[in-house]
Amino acid sequence: MHMADALVSPAVGGIMLAASAGAIAYSAYKCKDDLDEKKIPLMGVMGAVIFAGQMINFTIPGTGSSGHIGGGILLAALLGPFPAFLALTAVLLIQALFFADGGLLALGANIWNLGFYACLLVYPFVFKPIVKKGLTPTRISVASVVSVMLALTLGAISVVIQTLASGITELPMATFMGMMIPIHLAIGLVEGIVTGGILVFIYKMRPELLESSMDNKKLPKNLSIQKVLGVLLVFAIVVGGGLSLLASSNPDGLEWSMENVAGTAELETSGNAYDSAAGIQESTAFLPDYGFKSTDGEGSAAGTSVSGIIGAGITLILAGGTGYLIYAVKRRKEKTA
Amino acid sequence: MLEIKKLNYAYPDGHQAIRDINLKINEGESIALVGANGAGKSSLFKLIIGIAEIKDGSIKIEELPVGKKTLKDIRRKVGMVFQNPDDQLFMTKVYDDIAFGPRNELLTEEEVEVRVVNVLEQLGITHLRDRMPHRLSGGEKRVIAIASVLAMNPRVILFDEPTSFLDPQARRNVINTLDSLKMTKIIATHDLDMALDICDRVIILHHGSVFADGTVKDILLDENLLSQCHLELPLCMQKPRIR
Amino acid sequence: MSTITDSMNTINSLEEMAEGNTIIHRLHPMVKLMTTMLYLVLVISFNPYNITGLMVFAFYPVILMALAEIPYKPLLKRLLVALPFSFFAGLSNIIFNQQLALMIGPVPISYGLISFTSIMVKTIFTVMAVLILIATTSLPKISYQLLSIKVPKIIVEQIMLTYRYISVLLEQVANMYTAYVLRAPASRGIKMKDMGIFVGQLLLKSFDRAESIYVAMKCRGYDGNYLYAKPSPIKKGDWLFLVLVSAILCLMRFFDLSLFIGSFL
Repeated sequence: MHMADALVSPAVGGIMLAASAGAIAYSAYKCKDDLDEKKIPLMGVMGAVIFAGQMINFTIPGTGSSGHIGGGILLAALLGPFPAFLALTAVLLIQALFFADGGLLALGANIWNLGFYACLLVYPFVFKPIVKKGLTPTRISVASVVSVMLALTLGAISVVIQTLASGITELPMATFMGMMIPIHLAIGLVEGIVTGGILVFIYKMRPELLESSMDNKKLPKNLSIQKVLGVLLVFAIVVGGGLSLLASSNPDGLEWSMENVAGTAELETSGNAYDSAAGIQESTAFLPDYGFKSTDGEGSAAGTSVSGIIGAGITLILAGGTGYLIYAVKRRKEKTA
Repeated sequence: MLEIKKLNYAYPDGHQAIRDINLKINEGESIALVGANGAGKSSLFKLIIGIAEIKDGSIKIEELPVGKKTLKDIRRKVGMVFQNPDDQLFMTKVYDDIAFGPRNELLTEEEVEVRVVNVLEQLGITHLRDRMPHRLSGGEKRVIAIASVLAMNPRVILFDEPTSFLDPQARRNVINTLDSLKMTKIIATHDLDMALDICDRVIILHHGSVFADGTVKDILLDENLLSQCHLELPLCMQKPRIR
Repeated sequence: MSTITDSMNTINSLEEMAEGNTIIHRLHPMVKLMTTMLYLVLVISFNPYNITGLMVFAFYPVILMALAEIPYKPLLKRLLVALPFSFFAGLSNIIFNQQLALMIGPVPISYGLISFTSIMVKTIFTVMAVLILIATTSLPKISYQLLSIKVPKIIVEQIMLTYRYISVLLEQVANMYTAYVLRAPASRGIKMKDMGIFVGQLLLKSFDRAESIYVAMKCRGYDGNYLYAKPSPIKKGDWLFLVLVSAILCLMRFFDLSLFIGSFL
């Protein structure tokens, strides 16, 4: 599931962009070192395959509903973790631009939720150990199901945390998690079975394709993954710290509330099921001078007085009118030209 | 200019694709390489451009033997146009695709542009310069694929089925384009009518070895010879059968 | 199958729009990318209960679409596809926050309803901004620019290659799908047990294709390094646009036009 731009706050979006950028930079660096140049076109084509493959609906027996394939674990098994992560990044960017799947600010969050866990965390630490003793159809299937379920669940948990940290939804954390995790475990089961089916087929037809990506030489050593995580953690702290400094030293800046990012203040309030709306306002409103807490009486009721709403309507009409005017002028110009 | 001596090649699975081929091809010749599916045409091409490793025998291009060490220079001399232009055109803009080869020669961007513009003009496709390959028709793609190879100024070009999957007019257009190229050409094809049109020599491969080698007239009009290797007369030479 | 044709059509129509030649199309891609990002940040920086201040940001997509002569129908259609997700995410706000905010005549408006509206409006604005970017700037142009802001080359290569082969793969999938459904008329899609073979075949073919592409690259002197032309420089006019639009956007962020107009009522 893709996060949308409208569902993240600038701080959360920014931090996730930074974290994903870090992971991308590290993967690119790893690929520069030991990537077979032959893999460059393969990665591009596989990205396109995942893109097109996600459009195939398959029927889930006994449910009457349909599903589609994910991509992270499948790509990682075919290309190896770092190339897979980069290929998936390209796919997510194209989806964000053309299909409004996610968005540009939420791109970091989406790359993290859908790519990082599957390719750089679950694949090397769960999938690989299961098939370590040698590839067999059973091991491939088990590894696929477990990995896909785990990766999807991690992604779902992240979605919850990111949404709550952004202060967009008022769903209590427990309810949100309770909705997301079972759904994604179920989706993961189906997707995992299909992923396993695909990989087993490939293994039977062209075993060398899977074996080459399993090649131990091109494997990330445990150490390097720890390094990645370490680097990313430091990155996140630096970025987060920088943002909070910026926010506190510059109260006229944007509503980059770090409480929201840290999640504590906001999450506790949500846990208490909101004593009062004012409480939320306090924690989400960063600029008491602007908007709804205006003291000079004008937009007193939460910045959303009746007159304000009518004003908003007029603003929209004005905007639409301006657009119409430009169209009209352009058309007249064309006619005279 | 191209000399093949005692060439043998077997795939890793043991299948013998090329058996004892000896050939001499002269500067400026236009050669049709024909033969049934699996006769060894693509294997021969792969060996010439150095994608498959030569283990037995030798191929020399202008006295330069094809081998790992000479690959860079060999690929400057030999170009290959793939059957499926989607495999060949991998950039997102026609211009960039044609410029791909010249840029790899590390020319300056001005020199690259001169090359690309020349090729575009030579083939009469200047209007396609800024288009995206995936939005072009099959025939247009085919000509761009030829352009992308021409931009490398090769001495010899290998064509793999240049007229397949095209409508009659696009096919004619590609044939005319091929005819206008004056360098050495080796065209692997089932389109014997095209071979009649633009080739001066025909080589028939059969089960990996040279079955016949001669002028267009000698070979393409010999019904008996053709049928022995799963081929038939060019369509224009067959009696019309109208029901 | 409809999703595939749909996405092919979407890509096609956006590509066609990007081939236009208006003042917006001619702007430097980097400038458009930067203003879009700024717009996105400003729009989502509004707190969930401030929808009056948000409204003035409608001017940006409307004016840009008019200047770029983008037909609004295809964009709106795409927007409709993107809305349901935000709709459900926002719906919970209506349920969980029923605190009364104000009355419009006899109709009570809750904070939840306001934040729901805010999510929907933000979704519309952000989706439109991104679609306008891609409808006025082709993807290759944007990716070239990524090189100039030090995005690793391998990522740019991936974007370009994937983009190049999406249409090829979509067509292939559509053909395979048609062939499958013709022989399984009762099925509403691919059967789950056949997915392994179906996608597996697609992958095997794609491995072969990648192999051919690699050979084609090799034949033209590729040595593991893609080479590109340098991205074109940003001109004076582009800078002017960037500064001007950024200034206006920032001004819009801190000046609540709706309340200003409302104060006259």
